[in-house]
Amino acid sequence: MIGYVPGHSPLHRAHPYTTLALAGALLLGAFAATRPVEVWALVGAAAVFAAAGGALRASARPALLLSLPIWVLLFVLHGLLGAEPRMVVGPVSLSVPGIARALVLGGRITAIVLGFLTALATVSPHRLVEAMTAGGVPFGRTFLLASTLTILPRMRERAARILEAQQCRGLRLGGSVVARLRALGPLTLPLVLGALAEVDEQVLALDARGAGSAARRTALDPPPDSASQRALRRVLLVLVVAAYAWKFWRMRG
Amino acid sequence: MTARVVLEKVTFTYPGADGPALADVSLELRAGEVLVATGASGAGCSTLLLVATGFAPRVVGGHLVGERRIAAERCGIVFARPWTQLTGLCSSVRDEIAFGPASRGLPRDDVLAAAERAMADLHVAHLAERDPSQLSGGELQRVVLAAALAMDPEVLALDDPAAELDPEAADALYDVLPAVAAAGTAVAVATPDLERAARVASAAVVLEGGRIVARGRPAEVLGGTDVARIAGAAGCPPPLPLDVPALLRRVGR
Amino acid sequence: MSATSAPAADERDLRVTLRDLVLVRLGVAINLVIGQIVAALLLPVYLDSVGTILVASLVGPRAAIVAGLTSQVLNAVLSGNFSWLPFALVQVVIALYAAAAARLGLFRRLATAVPAGVGMGFVAASCSAPISYFLFGGVTAGGVTVVTTVLRALGAPLGVAVAAASYSTDLLDKAIACALVSLLLRSLPRTLAARFPALAR
Repeated sequence: MIGYVPGHSPLHRAHPYTTLALAGALLLGAFAATRPVEVWALVGAAAVFAAAGGALRASARPALLLSLPIWVLLFVLHGLLGAEPRMVVGPVSLSVPGIARALVLGGRITAIVLGFLTALATVSPHRLVEAMTAGGVPFGRTFLLASTLTILPRMRERAARILEAQQCRGLRLGGSVVARLRALGPLTLPLVLGALAEVDEQVLALDARGAGSAARRTALDPPPDSASQRALRRVLLVLVVAAYAWKFWRMRG
Repeated sequence: MTARVVLEKVTFTYPGADGPALADVSLELRAGEVLVATGASGAGCSTLLLVATGFAPRVVGGHLVGERRIAAERCGIVFARPWTQLTGLCSSVRDEIAFGPASRGLPRDDVLAAAERAMADLHVAHLAERDPSQLSGGELQRVVLAAALAMDPEVLALDDPAAELDPEAADALYDVLPAVAAAGTAVAVATPDLERAARVASAAVVLEGGRIVARGRPAEVLGGTDVARIAGAAGCPPPLPLDVPALLRRVGR
Repeated sequence: MSATSAPAADERDLRVTLRDLVLVRLGVAINLVIGQIVAALLLPVYLDSVGTILVASLVGPRAAIVAGLTSQVLNAVLSGNFSWLPFALVQVVIALYAAAAARLGLFRRLATAVPAGVGMGFVAASCSAPISYFLFGGVTAGGVTVVTTVLRALGAPLGVAVAAASYSTDLLDKAIACALVSLLLRSLPRTLAARFPALAR
């Protein structure tokens, strides 16, 4: 399943920035890679990454499920409908460059999804917020990322209740396209207006607790960082830059 | 008793409003005192709290005329709805309560000590590791109050704090206020709940149309027939008589 | 002792900052939640920019850009699929367009909001189609890709199919989104609207 899974793997113990840097390097590297060999090497690296997090099983299944529709569409759009030259495999005629392209594109997405699902599984949101606070990240950024996720369930619940209430008042969900478009108003208006009306109170509550204060917030439980992790993050950055440099050099030459 | 807040002939108008929400209000909030402000809905009690604590017009906008002196570095405020007062950043009650002191940049040990004190005072220490979004309304409102107190405010305003609580939780909340005041804070409560307010208040004012129409000791002010009428307009049952003369008036002699 | 009426300059900035944050958060939440309403109505659109456009009208371009980018990141966190992050550029473009449209008062009437939405869809698709084509080979696993596939099967070259699919879905999606935001803004009670100076223009 998608989401944090508690554990004791090296990734769990690592500083959140390190885990995210690894996933980010996979993301950027995937877009730099252009040949099937390179892309699938990255998929292998992503699998090793997942194993290091003890999350191989936890992230492999959702990664597969997420990428499956993409693979199907890739197969159809590039494999079946691709350009010449073609080869015949059984009853089907496949495009050779198309299949190669599909392998690259599909591998890219698989590597990225696998990498980030591993990151999601091994970085607890709380630890990331603490890391950002200790790292001096401005309050606004941590607030937006963490606090939005917290208010989402209540908002979804409210949307569901508004749906029920309006249906009780006679709103029909089916019907012509125009009718369904008109139904957008009664369903979204109460949700948005209700949320807007709460804004003042929320701002006051945050202000009263010093959220806007200029003073540097005290981190209560900062995750430990180490020189080797910082070095690793820098090395990853260099590797990514090198990968892109190599890609563009190859494209020109 | 030192006056923490002094308002002299203050008139306050919200942005875009037709008329002032507070008109010609003069009032003092003193340390150690629990002041109750009551009146029909829209009479200006909430606005009075916001103006007295300095949140209006600074946070909510609007225009203030008159003299206001706030001799307090920190003012706390608690609203009726518990869930809108959460920061959304904290996954445990302890962190939520510690948020305020941490925002001040205090050293880590001081922050944790302030949080422990507040949790003990509000009897929520047993909830320390719980996720705030999983708590009941009554528990959450106590946590919110603890979070406000952890900041060590010199003035504490509460806007109908027990509105969404069941009777037991409401009693528990109000019962804490005299101790808070005794520690040196100036406490002000806006509420139509005259029963509970009368139990804890040491001073009372009644507002109508943004003006103070009665003030004095709770027994004098809150037992009068005017107040009963206002309470009725607010949808509350009229308060029980607080002393013998009021009882005699109620019985008709 | 602190004094009376006019807030000091730094206090005014403080008020703007925290309030903007809460409004941006609200915009992001709307972006992420409106999908469930759209799904219940079985409409073939996403409307995942309504929050961004709303923030652009109520606050301004910078806040709208933050709302759009945060929505992109959180969408990835919630769905597990981070490969769509390059489309963040499209969020920035939508935010800027929406802020400009709001400034020109185009959301005040439905008759101007819908054409503004069509324009927004055109601009958004002009950004997303190349990203989709060059980085993803036209496959983004949404309804758009299905349209692309159908067009390709009918004989259109890949580039044309991707472009046609992107433009047709985005024009519709953004037109509806802008119409909805126009309705929302016109339904704001007067006292609430007065709290947003950006609306007065």
